[in-house]
Amino acid sequence: MENLSWLFWGYAVAWLLIFGYLFWIAQKERTLRRKIAELQETIEDRWKQKKG
Amino acid sequence: MDRMVQDFDDKPALPLWLGVAAALAMMVHLYLIFMWVPTEATMGIVQRLFYFHVPAAVVQFTACFVGGIAAILYLVKRDYRYDDLSLAANETVVVFGMVNIGLGMLWAKPIWGIWWTWDARLTSSFLLLFLYAAYLVIRPAAPVEHRGMVCAVVCILGMADVPLVYLSNRLFRTQHPSPVLGGGPDSGLAPKMLATLFFGMFTMLLLWWCVLKVRRRVARLERAAADLTRRAHELDDLRRY
Repeated sequence: MENLSWLFWGYAVAWLLIFGYLFWIAQKERTLRRKIAELQETIEDRWKQKKG
Repeated sequence: MDRMVQDFDDKPALPLWLGVAAALAMMVHLYLIFMWVPTEATMGIVQRLFYFHVPAAVVQFTACFVGGIAAILYLVKRDYRYDDLSLAANETVVVFGMVNIGLGMLWAKPIWGIWWTWDARLTSSFLLLFLYAAYLVIRPAAPVEHRGMVCAVVCILGMADVPLVYLSNRLFRTQHPSPVLGGGPDSGLAPKMLATLFFGMFTMLLLWWCVLKVRRRVARLERAAADLTRRAHELDDLRRY
């Protein structure tokens, strides 16, 4: 059981990197969806203003 | 507008069965690593890092080729789907490269007594990681009209480094151990170790496939957001005149 802590830290680092990346992607997707919804609203407003 | 609506549809990026399959395979893989495979005689329990370290490298190499070929296809066909795929794959090169190198360092310290050495294998692996990290910095900074070309050049350099990384411990004397598969008469693994390694490669590729699909969708959303921003600005300009 020598070196058990190295094994633990190895897998901890690997999973932290993978889950950290997935979390970052999920955050990015949420931000982008919000931004797209806002932009769509803005564009619709401007079209209405232009036509009106 | 239809194309843009397609770009940010609400369909899940990942089919449920694929996510479940990857999670199940990962659980089986962890069971094999910690419960099934025998402990290696010389290095002891820390050698079990091998079953994640090597599959991470396999995924990294696969991602290099997928990203590189997609970048070249984008240059030829000018289809943005290839550019999105290339970006997604190249980003995963960095993530799995960090997993590979991180695990390698945590394995090296108790076995070699050092975290790092600049031998051919480690240096070429570091160069590969550095190249793709540079890609992620250069890409948003490059002018839009030259972005495809710049990215393809970096990808081609990256793909050229992959065989160098693979062959480095065959061509040079390295601190890194010689290859355990196809490395000559003294190389080889016990059947249970080999089975765990191959299952690990399959599992890691499945996990990578899931990550790639999700990241590619985010790349499509980024493009859609950029398109909408440009349209909003165009409408602003029209309103002024």
